[in-house]
Amino acid sequence: MNITSSDVILLAHSTFGVLGILSALWVFVETLNAREENAGRIRKIALLAALCMSVTWIVGGYWYVHFYPGDRALILKGPWPWAHTLFMETKEHLFFITLILSFYLPIAARDKLYANAAARKMVLCVAMLIVLSGLAIEGSGAIINHGAKVALLQNGQGAAR
Amino acid sequence: MNTDNGKLGRSSAGFAMAASIAVLFSTALAWAKDAYKPLNSFMNALAWHNWITHGLANVVLFVGLGLIFSRTNWAERIAPNRMITFLAVAVAVAGLGLFAWYAVF
Repeated sequence: MNITSSDVILLAHSTFGVLGILSALWVFVETLNAREENAGRIRKIALLAALCMSVTWIVGGYWYVHFYPGDRALILKGPWPWAHTLFMETKEHLFFITLILSFYLPIAARDKLYANAAARKMVLCVAMLIVLSGLAIEGSGAIINHGAKVALLQNGQGAAR
Repeated sequence: MNTDNGKLGRSSAGFAMAASIAVLFSTALAWAKDAYKPLNSFMNALAWHNWITHGLANVVLFVGLGLIFSRTNWAERIAPNRMITFLAVAVAVAGLGLFAWYAVF
């Protein structure tokens, strides 16, 4: 088995992205049942969501700058060039929206959610936007991955890779 | 669960407005650097790669505007439902705007 640093970094970036999405979903569910007792936990998990998205940004950014150019050239020559021109281009910029929302989530969660309906509504909205945009980004990642795969298969390199 | 309506705290309101503006700015910058290559080159030179410059610009704008709005009561005076709607619409417009741009151009 040949696992390269590129593989580890790529999988780490998507793993932390999923953990960020799950943290936001956790915040959403806890906020639906906001009480004084779980206020501290909501704040901690909101912070965890921001930390996971920050790690995704740094790790994914490192991979994108160092390793993606080769994959991009491959995808553009393959049968699914739009996996890069549409999905990667959208994904790499859509991520900034998710990142900003995840930075905002711990700030919104500082209000007394158990006593404030407006603050609760804001946290529910932001957490759901993180989940939805995060899932769209994860889905785009799968399409980009498949774009590289079909390009390799077309070139007859699938078995060698 | 208490169901009083309440209002957003000063930081929450200020940074909600900052986040709304930052996501719209991010999409506008993505369009601009795609349409005007000298801007893309400038951003490449600024922080090694245009994507890194783009991300840093978004975060600096979000934090900077958030701190400014949090120190004034301007954002806090906006009705919470209006602020939540503005943020959700900004995110939807920014996200769909990205997809539409790269689908068409």
